[in-house]
Amino acid sequence: MSSESPSVRVTRRMKGTLRSALLPVWNVLCMLLAPLDRALQPIANVYNRTLGGHFGEMNGLQFAVISLGFAAIATVPFWSPFYSETLNITFAVASIWAIFAMSWDIQSGYTGYISFGHSVLSGAAGYTIGLLILHYDPSMGPATTIPVAVLASLVLGLVIAVPSLRLRGPYFSLITLVGVLLFTNLIFAFSGWTNGELGIHQVDPFTYEPWVRYYYMAIPMLLVALGLIYISRSNVGMVLVTIRENERAVSSAGLDPTKFKISSFVLSSIPMGIGGALLVYYGRAINPTSFVEISNSIEIIAIAVIGGMGSVVGPLFGSFLFFFLEEEFLRDVIGDSSLRTLVLWLFVLSVLVFARNGVFRVIWHGLGAVRGDSE
Amino acid sequence: MTLLEVDHLTKHFGGLVAVDDLSFSVDEGEIVGLIGPNGSGKTTVFNCIMSTYIASEGEIRFDGEDVTSEKTHEVVNHGLSRVSQESNPINLLSVGGNIKLFTLPNSFLACALPDAVLARRSDGGPGVVDHAERVGLEDKIEETPDSLPHADVRRLEIAKALATDPDMLLLDEPFAGMNQAEIRTLSEQIEQFREDGISLVVVDHNMRGLMQLVDRVVVISSGQKLAEGPPEEIVENQDVQDAYLAGEHGGI
Amino acid sequence: MLSGLPAVLINAALISALYALIAIGFTMIFGVGGVLNLAHGALLMAGAYVYLLLARDTISVPVFESMTLHPLLAFPLAVVIVAVLSYLLYAVIVQFVEDNPVVTFLATIVVALAATEVVLHYAGSATHTYTLIPDGMLPSTIDIGPVDGILTVDVVGFVVSWISIGLLWVYVTKTDSGRAIRATSMTERGAQLTGVNVHAVRARTWLVAGALAGIGGVFLGASTSATPNMWLHPLSLAFIIVVIGGIGSIKGSIVAAYLIGFLQTGVGEYLGQNFRGILSLVLLVIVLFVLPQGLFGREFDHE
Repeated sequence: MSSESPSVRVTRRMKGTLRSALLPVWNVLCMLLAPLDRALQPIANVYNRTLGGHFGEMNGLQFAVISLGFAAIATVPFWSPFYSETLNITFAVASIWAIFAMSWDIQSGYTGYISFGHSVLSGAAGYTIGLLILHYDPSMGPATTIPVAVLASLVLGLVIAVPSLRLRGPYFSLITLVGVLLFTNLIFAFSGWTNGELGIHQVDPFTYEPWVRYYYMAIPMLLVALGLIYISRSNVGMVLVTIRENERAVSSAGLDPTKFKISSFVLSSIPMGIGGALLVYYGRAINPTSFVEISNSIEIIAIAVIGGMGSVVGPLFGSFLFFFLEEEFLRDVIGDSSLRTLVLWLFVLSVLVFARNGVFRVIWHGLGAVRGDSE
Repeated sequence: MTLLEVDHLTKHFGGLVAVDDLSFSVDEGEIVGLIGPNGSGKTTVFNCIMSTYIASEGEIRFDGEDVTSEKTHEVVNHGLSRVSQESNPINLLSVGGNIKLFTLPNSFLACALPDAVLARRSDGGPGVVDHAERVGLEDKIEETPDSLPHADVRRLEIAKALATDPDMLLLDEPFAGMNQAEIRTLSEQIEQFREDGISLVVVDHNMRGLMQLVDRVVVISSGQKLAEGPPEEIVENQDVQDAYLAGEHGGI
Repeated sequence: MLSGLPAVLINAALISALYALIAIGFTMIFGVGGVLNLAHGALLMAGAYVYLLLARDTISVPVFESMTLHPLLAFPLAVVIVAVLSYLLYAVIVQFVEDNPVVTFLATIVVALAATEVVLHYAGSATHTYTLIPDGMLPSTIDIGPVDGILTVDVVGFVVSWISIGLLWVYVTKTDSGRAIRATSMTERGAQLTGVNVHAVRARTWLVAGALAGIGGVFLGASTSATPNMWLHPLSLAFIIVVIGGIGSIKGSIVAAYLIGFLQTGVGEYLGQNFRGILSLVLLVIVLFVLPQGLFGREFDHE
């Protein structure tokens, strides 16, 4: 007796029928793309032989997509004006959120211990900068404030991780959720210091030049991506994933799961702090709405999930997709701001229901399967 | 030299006493058999040693150190490794990945290092392929556990335990589900482990499989030690015979 | 006027009943399906706004142009509508993702965020206040003992909450369909084996929880106000109460609701409104570390 409802069973059957109906289309696609894959494979193999062991191996098509993707990200200010004037800015913001999403992923996506309060880490960094500038020394520059801010995130990460990661998964998640609510409450409770809802606005940006500003965001993002992808492909990634799949096996292997869980959370806090600092200098302000409130944490998770959680690269592209939709595509199609956000959330919902492994992952596996068993 | 000491071990679950004041020891280089009818508490003993359960009373010492209240990974790092009755492969990783995990050091930073650096640090000790060869799985390193036949999954479990570089191996029903030929091969492999310097405790509910293999037998029934001695004596022991006949499975 | 200890005590006692109602719906859904329905707060918000839609002409939605139904009609209608919304949430979304707790968690909170946008679109970001009890029926304040000026709507909310809890108790203890809910919440496997239709039970639970949320929402909105962000606070209250009381336990929810109700009212009165949430959250953290299964609950295991 299954515990599925009839509607679930019916939908599953429908999905199966749909898949078989689309099979000929897939076969045609494979026929067309396979030669391209084969042609590109030698170039991909150069990468595979050198960096493949550290960052993961790919086939020809996957290599092409990744290279094009990263090349596009690296050159945004050059080609974005052809699409729209605001794409530059949109992708600058997307870069910051890509940092958040990747940081979340290396911890939550990999270990399966889902943090619902990651925004407190970026918020801690942001408020450190804000408070330093407002109450300590308004002339403090980013070279001084940012390291302090990242340190603050790291310390907060330790404070949250050490007690909470001894608990089982759902309890840990609840603690993180409580953490973000508590942080938000504290900001309002101590409005005298934090300026409450309005936030702190006395921050000077890095630069007013839009395309330089883009690189201020994108370059750290790419560095963070490099670092986190490397970690995810290393033995650390293997341990973290095993914690998610089979924590008992990790103990049996002589590895302390709690130590690895805490380390991944603390590791995750560092780029969260970097991202938080970047966000402050980008927006020239820190306030609870854009930094700390629960919707921010949810947005981070949504971005990671629609990209593909547990892959680091998925959340990166997920962020660009999310912000492209929110700021560019939907803005052209729907005028009303709340309707636009509604459609965005409905999109996230449909990815959750229909492609819960993430858009990027679906595409990646598709590309990997083009040549299939005909190797 | 005594390697493992189980000292007045008692474990109860609420009202049920699973292990009752059990004491035995294992010397270096020995292969000891722990036998008893089903439900006599053999796996519970292993669980207490490996800290899957916390002992209610008693002490467990390994290589002179008290490991009773240590966590599982700490026990493993002392040099004790266990192969459970039920296989617990990590289906997401390949056979090679499964084994590799068990070779990793308990350090986040060390695991972040590239494999080349890690290998240099461990002074060229046995690698994943070597451990796979010890159990005969070297051809299946790229496969995933869910595509392997049952006997190979059992071999993988042993390879994983070996990969932690143990001084002592606890094997829980290693021969279950195997045919005569497989039992023979495994027995030979176990003897080889002893020659490689690993002491062993082997649990089984059936003496026949263990007769040739073990130096000494400890018999447990209803959580208590019933008898101890060389295999030939135990087979003749009347109390042991009664315990088995009184249980569901007739005869030793 | 809220002054002095008796007033604090009485107001705490009144609001705790509402908190209990809110928490019970939340805990029922978790008990039966293992789902943390983070859209529960949004259902409360729906209760307030649907009532506004039906009983006042301040907002209008296509099809439902300005209506001004009498509260005695609008109230039950609002409750029914919210119950149906809750059922739809289960039938259209949750039942397809409930096998994966992370996805379910995300899906329900995304629904809550989407609901905020819907409210923003049709009702704007302004705060809407409404009176539930027409002036003619009852005076707007009541004197209880030494305390004057207790809001009647709070007292009515208290009474209605307890009646609802009572009716719920009768339902889950005396009726077959209610007992099926309890059985499934205790042991899903066992319930299945005794012939209980688990998905029907789940659908029913969401319907009932929705009704409770609807009732709670109408009174919450009447007592405070209706805003597009009003769902977060009752939601966090709900799971603080549910975790402290014990997940899946109705009795636990009631006891913990009173604990939190008194704590919040007391802290709000003597330390300031901003600190209300903080103490409850700190208490939750302590409970999660020291007594994770709560006062009356089972372990958070849903295998």
